[in-house]
Amino acid sequence: MAVGSLPIAYADDIPRLASGSRAWRKFARNPAALTGALILLVVVGAALSAPWITPHDPAKQSLIRRFTPPVWAPGGNAGYLLGTDQVGRDVLSRIIHGARISLLVGVLAVVISVLVGVTLGLISGFVGGRADTVIMTIVDITWSFPQILLALAFVAALGPSLVTVILVLGFTGWERYARVVRAEVLALREKDFIEAARAMGIGSARILVRHVLPNTFSSIVVLSTLQVAQAILQEAALSFLGVGSGRTYPTWGQMIALGRDFVSVAWWLPTFPGLAILATVLAINLVGDRLRDALDPRV
Amino acid sequence: MRHWSLPLLALALLLALAPGADAQPKDTLTVALISHAPTLDPHMHFERVGILVNINMFDSLLHKNARLEYEPSLATSWKALNDTTWEFKLRKGVKFHNGDTLTAEDVKFSIERVTEPGKEKKKSPQYGNVRAIKDVRIVDADTIHLVTDKPFPLLLERLVFFPIVPKKHLEKVGDDAFGTTAAVGTGPWKFVEWKRDQYIRLEAFDGHWRGKPAFKHLVIRAIPEVATQIAEIKTGGVDLIRNVSADIAPELKAHAQTYVSSAPILRVHYVELDMRSAPFDKKLVRQAANLAIDKQAIIQRLMGGLGRQVATVVQPPAFGHDPEVQPFPFDPKKAKELLAQAGYPSGVDITLHSAFVEFRPVFEALTQMLTEVGIRTNARMWDPGPAWNKFLQAEGKATNGAYGSWGNYSVFDADAVLHPLFHTEPGGWIGKHYTRVEGLDKLIDEGRSTLNQAARKRTYSQIQKLIREEAPAIYLFTQYDTLAISKRVEYAARGDEWLWLFDAKPKR
Amino acid sequence: MSAFLVRRLVRLAVVITGVSLVTFAILHASGDPVSLIMPEAPEADRAVLRRTLGLHDPLPVQFARFVGNAVTGNFGKSFFHHGQSASALVLERMPTTLMLTVFSMGVALAIALPVGIYSAVRRGRAVDQLATGTVFLGQSMPVFWTGIMLILLFSVQWRLLPVSGWESWAAVILPTATLSTFTAPLLLRIVRSSMLDVIGLDYVRTARAKGVSEWLVICRHALKNAALPLVTVTGLQFGLLLGGAVITETVFAVPGVGRLIVGAIRQLDFPVVQAGVFMLAMIVVSVNFLVDVLYLYLNPQIRVR
Repeated sequence: MAVGSLPIAYADDIPRLASGSRAWRKFARNPAALTGALILLVVVGAALSAPWITPHDPAKQSLIRRFTPPVWAPGGNAGYLLGTDQVGRDVLSRIIHGARISLLVGVLAVVISVLVGVTLGLISGFVGGRADTVIMTIVDITWSFPQILLALAFVAALGPSLVTVILVLGFTGWERYARVVRAEVLALREKDFIEAARAMGIGSARILVRHVLPNTFSSIVVLSTLQVAQAILQEAALSFLGVGSGRTYPTWGQMIALGRDFVSVAWWLPTFPGLAILATVLAINLVGDRLRDALDPRV
Repeated sequence: MRHWSLPLLALALLLALAPGADAQPKDTLTVALISHAPTLDPHMHFERVGILVNINMFDSLLHKNARLEYEPSLATSWKALNDTTWEFKLRKGVKFHNGDTLTAEDVKFSIERVTEPGKEKKKSPQYGNVRAIKDVRIVDADTIHLVTDKPFPLLLERLVFFPIVPKKHLEKVGDDAFGTTAAVGTGPWKFVEWKRDQYIRLEAFDGHWRGKPAFKHLVIRAIPEVATQIAEIKTGGVDLIRNVSADIAPELKAHAQTYVSSAPILRVHYVELDMRSAPFDKKLVRQAANLAIDKQAIIQRLMGGLGRQVATVVQPPAFGHDPEVQPFPFDPKKAKELLAQAGYPSGVDITLHSAFVEFRPVFEALTQMLTEVGIRTNARMWDPGPAWNKFLQAEGKATNGAYGSWGNYSVFDADAVLHPLFHTEPGGWIGKHYTRVEGLDKLIDEGRSTLNQAARKRTYSQIQKLIREEAPAIYLFTQYDTLAISKRVEYAARGDEWLWLFDAKPKR
Repeated sequence: MSAFLVRRLVRLAVVITGVSLVTFAILHASGDPVSLIMPEAPEADRAVLRRTLGLHDPLPVQFARFVGNAVTGNFGKSFFHHGQSASALVLERMPTTLMLTVFSMGVALAIALPVGIYSAVRRGRAVDQLATGTVFLGQSMPVFWTGIMLILLFSVQWRLLPVSGWESWAAVILPTATLSTFTAPLLLRIVRSSMLDVIGLDYVRTARAKGVSEWLVICRHALKNAALPLVTVTGLQFGLLLGGAVITETVFAVPGVGRLIVGAIRQLDFPVVQAGVFMLAMIVVSVNFLVDVLYLYLNPQIRVR
């Protein structure tokens, strides 16, 4: 270790590559992971087809139909399965549309994090020396801020918008990838096949892309899955705190924040968006965790 | 295990540092407000949440009782000597919380602290309210004369909230300390402790001239979240909360520990339209916007019937209101026609702003109704506070309009709403940015510069006809002040939104 | 060893400078801080503010000044709270935030240690599966939502605990519990996996074979070795915990730094935002540094190196 920034690497987070089919069998054997995958499929499907499957326009208000309870509660209406909110909008339709924001933010933020983190991690691990010191210092600095706080401050400074939220979450969440990839590269660097490639005179960049990167792939996949879940939670928290993606589109966090004021007369307002977050994040976590086990031959 | 002794020790230390148990004794009255004003100094802010605290610590020259009639306070009597000179007789033997006796010097000092004669930049945000006062003359120990630059019909109204502060004390401790740790007045409660954004603790002042208030301790907690306020009053954590929405009121009415008290108030809701730029530079569009809003539906569905439709922004109980002027009807068809006539047959996109968080559902309903006639509205909700104030007060880009409310600072006079909303002079409020109605400024000036009430009434009637036609704002309704109160406390909402807690009594 | 310490100290200084740079960037991220502070204000007013904030100077000069001030704890005066220094406002609330974090860490440890050990020892059994399931659930719940649901149940429905505040012991319970549901799963996972790592090791097996009681073995040997990763990872996750505390404070109206910062962000009170973010980051930095030193002290291998 160049400088002991992270004394124990994430033993938990670094799987080694296992063969594909075996991994799949391991994955499929687990009922929890399958349930997670199923939930995830439903959520993604709902988000993709939101405009066609929502029973109502998520923005359509109706002052007559305010605070309609969910269909199974007394006073419920079959047209509004999960009830309506303070201005009579359909809660289910808003939750389905909210899924789009959550997934979009989650995935795009992680894409940015991966791009930044993996690049820096590769450079840091492979080039070493001064580059490593500089990059790991940046990692340490980023690590020093509670992510939500940094995101909060920068979203506020840049003005709330979807793009801002994605960028800010992406650029505050990359340091894990850098650490993990760096550790992987350090472990790989001494391996025979890399030595051999080097001996054959193959250029550094080529070794990186051809040999090192594919070997870090499974760690990145696992970490990314779990980070999507984190990003969804962070976006919800930002929306809850009122600096989310603005007010043009419903988001789960915002629905909880606004519904909270009416919780004593309409318990369903904060409850269902919260359950939506819980189900989605849980599903991703289950899948991600199983993925880690499946890709890791040690277990 | 030696390893664990250190953390345990640290934990024990922390436990020792933590706050003690909180009993809610019988002689304590706890009130929740959404925030604290930035200072306890009654002259250095202009926020309702600050006023509500200040009135219980400080006295002004005049007071209003629960029926909103003038009552003597620090002044025992007053009269107009001529058009511009008023005489006030001061109450004798009034003590400040620090034991000093109130003198005419204190009154002069208090007023000049705000008017700052001779200074270019005034530091008090309340300056605009009393700038008519040109001179404060001490005639003798108990008599002062206030001289205004021209006839100023609103003087008495302005003096109902104009706290008198102790000159000697203030000069000793300075402005900063006075506003944070050393606030001293003559009111029913004296200052004990302020934990910013947590609570202000006050204690009954034994030497108060009215006698002792029924509750020995008064605690004003800052709780920004509506949901938390509601939960707190239900569980007995606080005794009184304000601005209870119509959606929550029935529940708190039925609750075993709480009751609800409402009073119609001056506060009038409006959407001020930016007349400087398209599309609201056109009268027809402004009228269309007024026709698009179903005011009755909002009052009935969103406000639990606790609202009163108004024809303009002048409230019916205010002096100068003209009942002849009729409100815009709800007529979406006509609205679309007017919009087409104005050159927008396929509609127009606008943005409205608001920081009126308590009425967020109303704002959302308004934007939807406007959108339905073709004025497609993008709503932008702000948190109330300096950022919003700066935005609102700033000139700069056109913003199409703002939804808000105006409570006249509890002054029952047409001028108190017309001037801030529609007058364009630089010292004005939002009118200076948004409103451009030919001849309106002159009429408003006319109304405020004579003591002849009949003439004023005629002027205000003329103004209301003019603004009904020109529609510089979407006119909506006045609201009620709705308090939820613990059943162990007897108190009633006032028509001026004050929390005059000297009237609060324990209930058996 | 001292060479290592010196290296760490140099690095600490570099990191603190970096943290200042990021904090400094908050105000400058939008390009024009003044338009952030006074959106749509007349140009004349903006010019005045620019002068008072020294924004005419080149950025490096401004940054140097900022670092100089930050190190001495001077972030200027709050825009909102009249005449109050931003760092005083933050410091006033710091004990509350630290208390909340440490309390919930204590509660989380009290749950995570026994449960984590037990489920590692009984790996794959019902207890383990239940614990693992709870970990997943806990890690998937948004903190703010957990808080709201707890309020709904314990304060509104059953009326057992106060809804908000920090004035009494009873009021401390719900925020602590909320933050613990966020913290405990994290710790439980670490305890479980580090126990699993040592439980199969030779000396544990040997001790077992010698007939030493199983729990004694676990407490004597396994736990001692599992403690090291637990301490380090907990330390490294401290930033995450503070982040959780920020949100918890907002839900329960706990008068801590988090709530102050969230409020300041809404009011565009940037001196307070900067002071708060900087000081919380400083806490994370110091905790990380302590953990590093502690690790060095506890782990002889590095000491030798």
